[in-house]
Amino acid sequence: MTTTNNQGDNEVTMKLNRRRFIRHAATSSAIATAGALFPGISFGSWPQLANNSGLVSWQKAPCRFCGTGCGVLIGVSDGRAVAVKGDPNCSVNKGLCCMKGYHSVQALYGKDRLTTAQVRKNGTLVEVPIQEALDLIADKLKTTRELHGKDSVAIYGSGQWTIPDGYVASKLFKGCLGTNNVEANARLCMASAVTGFMTSFGLDEPMGCYEDMDHANIFVTWGNNMAEMHPVLFSRMLANRKRRTNVRIIDFATRSTRTSQAADKSILFKPQTDLAVANAICYEIINRDWVNWDFVNQHVSFHRGKTDIGYGTEDHFAFKDQAEAISFEEYSRFLEDYTPEKVEKISGVAAKDIKYLAALYGDPALKVTSFWCMGMNQHTRGTWINNLVYNIHLLTGKISTPGNSPFSLTGQPSACGTVREVGTLTHKLPHGVVMNQHHREMAAGIWDVPLSNIDPKPSYHTVEMFRALDRGDIKFIWIQVTNPMVTMPNLRRYRDGGLKGDRFVVVSDVYPTPTTDIADVILPAAMWVEQEGMFGNSERRTQHFAQIVDPPGEAMSDTWQIIEVARRLGFEQQFPWSKEDYIEKIWEEYRRFHAGPKHEMAPYSVLRERSGVQWPYVNGRETRWRFNPKYDPACSNGKDFDFYGKKDNRAWIWARPYEPAAESPDNTYNFWLNTGRVIEHWHTGSMTRRIPVLHNAVPAAYVELHPEDAAELGVVNGEMVKIISRRGEVTMPAQIQGRGVPVRGMVFVPFFDESYLINELTLDAFCPISKQPDYKKCAVRLEKA
Amino acid sequence: MMKQSEKRGWVGPCIAACCILGAAVTIGSPKHSAAIDLGNFDHQGQKVFRSYEATPETYLAADSGDRNLARFYELRQYPGSPPRIPHGVEASFSGDESNCLSCHGKGGYSPEFGKFVPVTPHPENTLCYQCHARVITEKAFGESDWQSIRPPRLGRSFLSSSPPPIPHSLQLRENCISCHTGPGAVVEIRVEHSSRGNCRQCHVPAVQTAPVNEFVRPGP
Amino acid sequence: MPVFSYLATPKRGAKTTLCVDLAALPYCEVIPADNQDLVVLITDTPDETKEKELQKRLKSVQSLQSLSLTFGYDDHEQPGR
Repeated sequence: MTTTNNQGDNEVTMKLNRRRFIRHAATSSAIATAGALFPGISFGSWPQLANNSGLVSWQKAPCRFCGTGCGVLIGVSDGRAVAVKGDPNCSVNKGLCCMKGYHSVQALYGKDRLTTAQVRKNGTLVEVPIQEALDLIADKLKTTRELHGKDSVAIYGSGQWTIPDGYVASKLFKGCLGTNNVEANARLCMASAVTGFMTSFGLDEPMGCYEDMDHANIFVTWGNNMAEMHPVLFSRMLANRKRRTNVRIIDFATRSTRTSQAADKSILFKPQTDLAVANAICYEIINRDWVNWDFVNQHVSFHRGKTDIGYGTEDHFAFKDQAEAISFEEYSRFLEDYTPEKVEKISGVAAKDIKYLAALYGDPALKVTSFWCMGMNQHTRGTWINNLVYNIHLLTGKISTPGNSPFSLTGQPSACGTVREVGTLTHKLPHGVVMNQHHREMAAGIWDVPLSNIDPKPSYHTVEMFRALDRGDIKFIWIQVTNPMVTMPNLRRYRDGGLKGDRFVVVSDVYPTPTTDIADVILPAAMWVEQEGMFGNSERRTQHFAQIVDPPGEAMSDTWQIIEVARRLGFEQQFPWSKEDYIEKIWEEYRRFHAGPKHEMAPYSVLRERSGVQWPYVNGRETRWRFNPKYDPACSNGKDFDFYGKKDNRAWIWARPYEPAAESPDNTYNFWLNTGRVIEHWHTGSMTRRIPVLHNAVPAAYVELHPEDAAELGVVNGEMVKIISRRGEVTMPAQIQGRGVPVRGMVFVPFFDESYLINELTLDAFCPISKQPDYKKCAVRLEKA
Repeated sequence: MMKQSEKRGWVGPCIAACCILGAAVTIGSPKHSAAIDLGNFDHQGQKVFRSYEATPETYLAADSGDRNLARFYELRQYPGSPPRIPHGVEASFSGDESNCLSCHGKGGYSPEFGKFVPVTPHPENTLCYQCHARVITEKAFGESDWQSIRPPRLGRSFLSSSPPPIPHSLQLRENCISCHTGPGAVVEIRVEHSSRGNCRQCHVPAVQTAPVNEFVRPGP
Repeated sequence: MPVFSYLATPKRGAKTTLCVDLAALPYCEVIPADNQDLVVLITDTPDETKEKELQKRLKSVQSLQSLSLTFGYDDHEQPGR
């Protein structure tokens, strides 16, 4: 609404409004008359295709954006994507999408799409034929390796890589070039979920599936604004609450969000103290004797690891955890530091609320599903908090059955499919880890490379990889499908590093971004349905999409870019496929890594037909709940559960203490800075900001403040606030009483806007086990700008 | 020219109205079909009848004329896309479902906007902001080459006298009366025989963007 | 401050020309239909004199076949003016 201060202005405004109203009425009336005179007359607001056949064919694909993995149907008319609808055959979303999905096809058609390759010559980017750019990349890769050794080159990919993209990247770099310098941005979003699964269960990825939502009575969202980040799943929860009488949603968070508002109860905790609260819930469950002893005695063992494990803010930081078996009594003694009353003091959560949560988890009549995503994963004790939530489900036996599910959600469409399953992380192989002789042998066999090629030592995780680029240990880096010059924490150091004289940066992307700004070579990439590929979503579902429209100009799939370079380096034998069927051939080769009932993947022909298939896919059947013999063919112990991932056939409960954040507010930097997303934009906005509806809804980033903090600072909505951390500063408009309200002493900033690089302020501290940085907690101070 | 067009405008509805006189509406009795979720088949056909039942006759017949197709499509990016929210919403716009549904659930006159409110065809989906975006600015981030197909044409009956088919997909738009009747209806597509509740008795779904399939008798 | 809206019919095949011609006139907004030979014209003039001038100019537009009024409004139309 227009606000005015004096009477005169007000009159002018009113007159203008009235004038606008009359014009509008005039327009409407003319159009209505025209409509009555000429049935079918149209004044559609979008540019309409000329000479269009008017026919639309619909083809299935997974959505391009988050890790939910909604099935969409893309409407294609005369070679262009023109519309989207939800795929009713896809069990993930059953025909419903969110605003990003419905408008996703518009992201293909921004006028500034990259359509030709560019090479930096004397400081400026010059367009060149793509074959010339590929020659240059191969040549640079070769000479850099010769001059500086095999570990001076690296590839940094993405959870938005298709499965074939990640597979060929790993095969080329780990198998052929012999370096473990393969990482992906999923390190920044999912690594703690992986180490959480590995330490608790010995196998990655959730045991449950989205169908849990149709069975659970209690949903607890742990630091997880699902209403905005996984809206399609959240509305399925709401639909269940409406349909069934005994469903409640509890939001457990550090900031009030749309999820808190839709929840039946919102519980706020101080940043980082989720560790203490989770332990207190376990204390209460044991203290009240709500432990499911049958389950615990048969299926659980107790362990502790190292404590005071550091934060990784220094270069070359190294840490290795050590598991030590403990007894239930020792575990129980460990929990005595975490009585609800003691934890109330640390966390700010009332003891009665902790007891309430414990009572929900502890009630044998209630099925409980816990959801989490970045709040628990982007955490300097991310692995620990994952372990601790599993502890709750394990003590109560609420796991691996419909509705009882600790569920780790993912943020990217193929964080699971490409990064976790293909293993595009420094220590991983498509099956297992580089440190394991058998796993290396398997990889060398399938890849047709000498065993000695595969280095048994992991090299750099993501943060350390960019530190190595800054230091000069890495001279060549190829970045695909991601925008690290917006997303790296402590951004300034890594951007300056990438810009240093003798570093060679190759970027494959679809639009210009701050990352292409620092590139020496830009390759135009095919986007999403402009190529064939597969994604893997949060619930172990592999989703195939065919090439539906042509990529623009010389744009090429990331997979094919890597194949072209591999062949130029002399690896024709390892990359023999033809353009016609390379995706099928790559899939069938990759599938061999996962043979067996624990991870069998569906054959290509099945993936083509269906709107996603869940693995393990054994004898034509998908596995909805793992570790439960009623559903999981890999169970073999004859009991009602089989946690076959660990050598002792048990799931592990871990004694993990509360330890403070790497940087907490103090007298000088007296606010927490929390960062994240909004529903309209996805990650760095390079796609969603080019979708008019989404950009028009949230055109710029802002800083959310608590109203009282804003009043103390003397700012009102829209006024500029300078946010300063030890690493950088940014000035941006304030938002007060918006869709999210931080607690006092905290500010929240969405990170999608390249005009306000909030990651210049964030800290590159990470979980020592998962090496995933914490984007949710660092200390800042505020000034009115 | 005017006269001729007027004729064209009126003939269709009159004939459509004639041919559904005395039609009997039968809804399958749920006795022997306990296992079937009535709300979930035939494009959730039951919803059409229920919402029709719940709508007072006076409302069905009401006519305001302030919503037209041009405006309808102006809020969309392609035929069938979720419309943007054309009015201000609170900055907190935070999914208190009663906020949106208090008006868009049943419709009626909104003194605040001086208009009759359009009714949602899918009130069971309550996380409104999941699909419907606010408009904070009209400025684009960059230029777009977006183009789509033209909206379905109206009044395209297969025979000169037959009722026009339903030209759009029914997904999330199973409830005909929310857009086609009442004072909040879109002028050009409002039906003038709203006293009949069984829309699909006469109007057959024939999505205009789908190819027309001809019957071919399967070979022996 | 008169506001009027019209349906403008172009001479055969002259829809594009008509749009250009009308858009070139002052105080005119043009919305062409995209599947019919028809153009919506909205005029919004500051006063009676300008309105008369415009009407005169409209009559001389070559590409225009006919103009039919659909809406009219003038807030200075007071009795005794």
